[in-house]
Amino acid sequence: MNGCKYIRELIDEAEKPDLLPFDVSEHIVQCTECERFANERIALRQLVTAGTRVSAPINFDAVLKARLSEVKNRSPFWWLGSPAFLRLGAATAGAVAMLVVAQYTGWLSNNTPPAGEPIAEHAMAPTPDSLKLLIPEPAPPPPIIVRSPSHRKPSNARHAIPADSAMPAGYVSAEDGGVVLLRGRNGDVDVQMPTVSVGAQPLLYVSAGQRTARSVGTSF
Amino acid sequence: MSAVTHQAQAIELGGSRAVETASDHELLAAIRDGDEVAFQEIVRRYRNPITNFVYRMLDDYDRSVELAQETFIRVYTSASRYQANYSFSTYIYRIATNLAISELRRRKRRKTVSLFSPFTNDEGDAIEIDPPDLNLLQDETLIQNERRRAVARAITSLPQKYRAAIVLRDVEGLSYDQIAQTLRLSEGTVKSRINRARNLLKEKLTAYI
Repeated sequence: MNGCKYIRELIDEAEKPDLLPFDVSEHIVQCTECERFANERIALRQLVTAGTRVSAPINFDAVLKARLSEVKNRSPFWWLGSPAFLRLGAATAGAVAMLVVAQYTGWLSNNTPPAGEPIAEHAMAPTPDSLKLLIPEPAPPPPIIVRSPSHRKPSNARHAIPADSAMPAGYVSAEDGGVVLLRGRNGDVDVQMPTVSVGAQPLLYVSAGQRTARSVGTSF
Repeated sequence: MSAVTHQAQAIELGGSRAVETASDHELLAAIRDGDEVAFQEIVRRYRNPITNFVYRMLDDYDRSVELAQETFIRVYTSASRYQANYSFSTYIYRIATNLAISELRRRKRRKTVSLFSPFTNDEGDAIEIDPPDLNLLQDETLIQNERRRAVARAITSLPQKYRAAIVLRDVEGLSYDQIAQTLRLSEGTVKSRINRARNLLKEKLTAYI
């Protein structure tokens, strides 16, 4: 019958189950389905309402008073010792430790070369041997050979420094994908720098085109 | 604005008669000023309804009493932040509802198994397995007790979002508007949940209707 849905909503929303609005009373006289629905709802609500109501125990106030005085007397930083806070603290410490480990083991770095690209020897992760190359000897400044671009081999020449080269051991040429500038020791060396970025602390960033990039932090 | 109004209404509530006739908002204003008698009056007014409400939500009397006390402790400690935008009953029922729902979630995480509802559906809600008792009951009291237990079990087997709404409506007698404010839902959602809860209860309690 038309309007039954609306009537059933009214039955459900009635303030008291046995006090139905006039519209509903008028409708259910003619509609047996809605009458059955109304009777079911009345019985159900009476059943649920008729359940025994429990009361607070006799000592409710006394226990509440004791708990309240405990709350008033506790330190303002009581939550620092709560199990929830300790769990949160332990979880945070664990996450930080994992981040530190991941940082130092290189999991978070994205210096991986493109697939299929041969990896230059100097672009690998620093090893004690490779670090030696970057740290100048305290000996007097070695002779510096100026290498102009015309003297250089083709750009795809990614090879070790020839044995007869006058390049000292403490230097890395631009051809090898890295440049180190040292205070007072670079003189008028001609180097190619495809990309230079300067930050708060002077930073030289060398990217050899399609080659594996490496950054060299230094001051000059 | 309301806070200022009720601050002004924080009349001297020293006399027991004044306390008994004071409104909830006046009592809250007095509690803010440190009046212990006003707090005792609030506890006296609401301890039974709150205990009963939490009991209907949890079906665990001892825990219900603890949570009812926790509700009053929160009322006391947050009295300075109370804003009388809604009726106090809405406010205190909201605290009790949140505590009860937190308790239900904690129990769900611990995967406590009720002897009456050891199985759960896909949503993790308890499915009541209540095989019919074919023995004849001799005593009317036993029948009434059994009916009460069946109703309590049926209510506690409802999903918690339906349970809070139906208990507030049919057990505590709150209006749809108050329930909507307590549960922070729209009135339409509350009506829908209550309708759904009644349909579920009807299926579970067919034998008693």
